[in-house]
Amino acid sequence: MEGWCWMNLRRWGAGLLIGGYLLLLSWGIIGHALKIPAAGNTLGYFVVWDMFCGWQAFDNRTHFIAEDSAGNYYRLQEPWGAFQPFGHVDRVNYDVSNHLAPKHIRNVLTHTEHPQIDRVYVVQEVWPKQYNVPDRLWSSYFHEPKDQQSYFNLRAICAADGALIESNPDWYVAQGLKSIADNPRLREQSQGALPFYNTFFNPRAAADSNSSFSAVDDGLTN
Amino acid sequence: MSGKSHLRSLRESTERFFFAEESPYGLALVRMCLPTVALIPMIRRFFRVRELYSADGCPQQLAELFGNGRLLPELPGPVAAALYGLMLFALICGVFGFRTRLSFLVGGLLYIYFNMLDAIGTMTKYSVIASHVLLILAISNAGAVWSVDAVLRRRKCTDGTAAFPVRVPVWPARLIQILFAAIYFGAAITKVQTPEFFSGEQMRYWLVSNWNWPNPIGEMMALSPAFLMISSYITVVWEVTFPFLAWRPLGRYAALGIGAAFHIMTIFSLGLWIFPFICTTCYLAFLQEGDIAAIRILLRRLRLQFHWAGMPRILTASLLEQRPAMVPLAGIWVLAAIVAVVGSVEADYRLDVYGIRRHGAPMALPLMDATVARQMINSRSALREKDKYFSFDIGSMVMAGQLANRRSQFETGDVIIAQCNLNPPHEDLWVECVIQDEQDRVIDVAGQFVTRDQLFAKFSYLTADKLIPGRYWVVLKSSGQEVSRRPFELSGDAAVERPEDGMLAN
Repeated sequence: MEGWCWMNLRRWGAGLLIGGYLLLLSWGIIGHALKIPAAGNTLGYFVVWDMFCGWQAFDNRTHFIAEDSAGNYYRLQEPWGAFQPFGHVDRVNYDVSNHLAPKHIRNVLTHTEHPQIDRVYVVQEVWPKQYNVPDRLWSSYFHEPKDQQSYFNLRAICAADGALIESNPDWYVAQGLKSIADNPRLREQSQGALPFYNTFFNPRAAADSNSSFSAVDDGLTN
Repeated sequence: MSGKSHLRSLRESTERFFFAEESPYGLALVRMCLPTVALIPMIRRFFRVRELYSADGCPQQLAELFGNGRLLPELPGPVAAALYGLMLFALICGVFGFRTRLSFLVGGLLYIYFNMLDAIGTMTKYSVIASHVLLILAISNAGAVWSVDAVLRRRKCTDGTAAFPVRVPVWPARLIQILFAAIYFGAAITKVQTPEFFSGEQMRYWLVSNWNWPNPIGEMMALSPAFLMISSYITVVWEVTFPFLAWRPLGRYAALGIGAAFHIMTIFSLGLWIFPFICTTCYLAFLQEGDIAAIRILLRRLRLQFHWAGMPRILTASLLEQRPAMVPLAGIWVLAAIVAVVGSVEADYRLDVYGIRRHGAPMALPLMDATVARQMINSRSALREKDKYFSFDIGSMVMAGQLANRRSQFETGDVIIAQCNLNPPHEDLWVECVIQDEQDRVIDVAGQFVTRDQLFAKFSYLTADKLIPGRYWVVLKSSGQEVSRRPFELSGDAAVERPEDGMLAN
C-alpha cells in the first residue's frame, strides 16, 4: 500500500513537472511570436529562441583610447591578452549595447601601470562587410580593387573610473538619422517644432488656485 | 466513439507518451556527450575565471542587459575559482555517472550561474540549451545504465535481477525532445518575422561576418543569392515541421537527419563549433531501446568493438569499491570535490591572470601614436558612395524578385538584368545604370530612386531593339558617381544595323 502511494505521488510529481515545463516553453514561444514584453526579460532569455534575429551590413570593432594629463594616448586594452570567446575577436567587441565599456575601462586601469588618466574615448570602427571576403574570393566575384576604408565614430567619453561623461549615437543610428535629416522638408518642420519646457506656467500653482478659488495670477508665475 | 472515450484514449496515449518504461540508453548517451561538449568552452574559460566571473574582473550579468539589475552575487576571485572548479568536477562526474543526480544538480546550477555572470563572452543560446538539458538530467535516471553508479549497483545486487536492464519512465527524454521541437518552432518564428532572411540578405551578411571561427564555405555561399534563398525556405519548412515529424516512425529519420546535416553545415558555413555539437548530442535523446539494439547488431556485424569505452567506469567503480566500508560514496564525492576546489584556487593563484606577480608590478598600458589616436577620435569622414553598395551583378534569371544568376554572355533578344545590393543604413539615393560600348560611349541610361528601406534595385534591359552584337559595359552610378561596372558580350544576329565608326550610337 505504502509503495503504491509512493509510486502515485512520484507520478503526480512528474506530471506537475512536465506540465510546468510545457507551460514555460509555450510562454516563450507565444511571448516571442506576439512580442509580449513579459518574455523580454532575464527569465525570458531562457525560453525565447530568437537565434540570429538581427543583422548588420557593416562590421564593427570597439577601441578604447586613454588620454593622460600630458596629452599622451594609450591603447586601453588588456596587456595580459584579451579573451576571445567565440573566435578571433576580443570579448569587448561582442558588447553591442556598450554595457561592458565602463567595467572594462575600470578593470584594465585597475590592473595596469599608467600615469593619471583624464579621459577614455570609446571609438567605434566600422567597415562594409563585403571587405571580410578573402582576397581569392574577392578577385573572382568583385571586379573592383579591394579598397577597404574604416569609418570611426566617437561613441562615448568616459572618466578613468568608467563613469560616462559624454555619449553619442551608435554609428548605425547616426547614419539612419542622417539619412532622415537629409530631407529639407523634415528638417524645416523639426526646426520649427523645437521642444521646450514652459517656465511661465506652474501647473501646481494653477491646481492650487483652482481648488481654493483664490487665483490671482491664474498659475502664471514669472 | 463518444466524447468520453475520446478523452480516455487521449489520456491513455499521453500517459503512454510520457510514462512508458524503457531502458534509458538514449538519455545515458546524452549524459555522456552533452556535458563533454559543454565543458569545452568552460575549460577554455578556466584560465580567465578571475577576469570573467569575479568581483576582481569585469563580469557583465545577463540580468543587467535586460535592466533587471545585478541579480547574482559577484564573488571574490578565489571563491569564484573554487566554485568554477566545483562546476567542472561535478560535470565530469556527471559524464561518468558517479553520483549522477547530485553531480548534475551541482554542476548544472553552477553552469547557469557562471553563464549568467558573463552575458558577453560566455552566455549564448547553446548555453541556454545545455542549461535546460543539464537540469533535466539532474532529475532523470540518466545514470541508471552505462555509469559508475550502475556498475556499483550491479555488483552490489546479488539476487540475480542485475542481469536485467533497468527500465524507467521515458518522460525526461521526452522533455528534451519537446525542448528541441520548441527551439526549432521558435527559431522558425524568428525567421518568419525577418523578411530579409527569405530574400537572403540576413544570411549573406552573417556568412561574411567574422564573429565566429573561420567559415570558408559560408563566404562562398554568401556570394550565391539563389542558394541562400532556396536554403532559407528549406530551413523554415524543416523547423516548422520538426514537431510534427519527430515522433513519427519514419518522419523522425527525416527530421533528425536533416537536423544533423543542418547543424554540421553551420560548422563550415557560420564557423560555429559548439552549437552544432550541443544540438546533435541532444538528438541522442530520441534513440529508443530498439534503435540501440539495432546499432549493437550493426556494430557486431561490422566487427567493431566498443568494450573499451566501458573501461573507465568499470575501473572507477573497482577503485571506489576499495574504500573503507564506513565511508559512503557521497563522502568520496565530497572529498574529491574538495580536492578540485582547492586545486582550482591554487591554479587561479598560479595562473596570475593579470601578470602582476609574474612581472613584479602591474603591466604597463601600451602607448599609442598620437596622430592615429586623434584621427580615430576626431574622424568625421562621410560614407563613400561605393560603400553604400554590397555588390553589383548582371544576369538573366530572377528568383523571388532578385537576380539569381551571373552572366557576361548574352544573345540578341535576351533581357539583361542588372542588380545592385545595398548596405543599410543608407539614405534615399538616385541610382543610374548606364550601358557603354567598348569606347566608353554612352548608349543607354536608366535611373530610379532607391529609398532608404530598399536593400536592392533592379534594372531590366531589352537587347533586341537597342544593341548590336559586340562588347559592352554596364556601369552603376550612384549620386552621379561611378560605383561599379560589369562587362558583357552580346552575340547573335544584329537586330539593327551597326552604325559606321565615328557616329554616335544613341
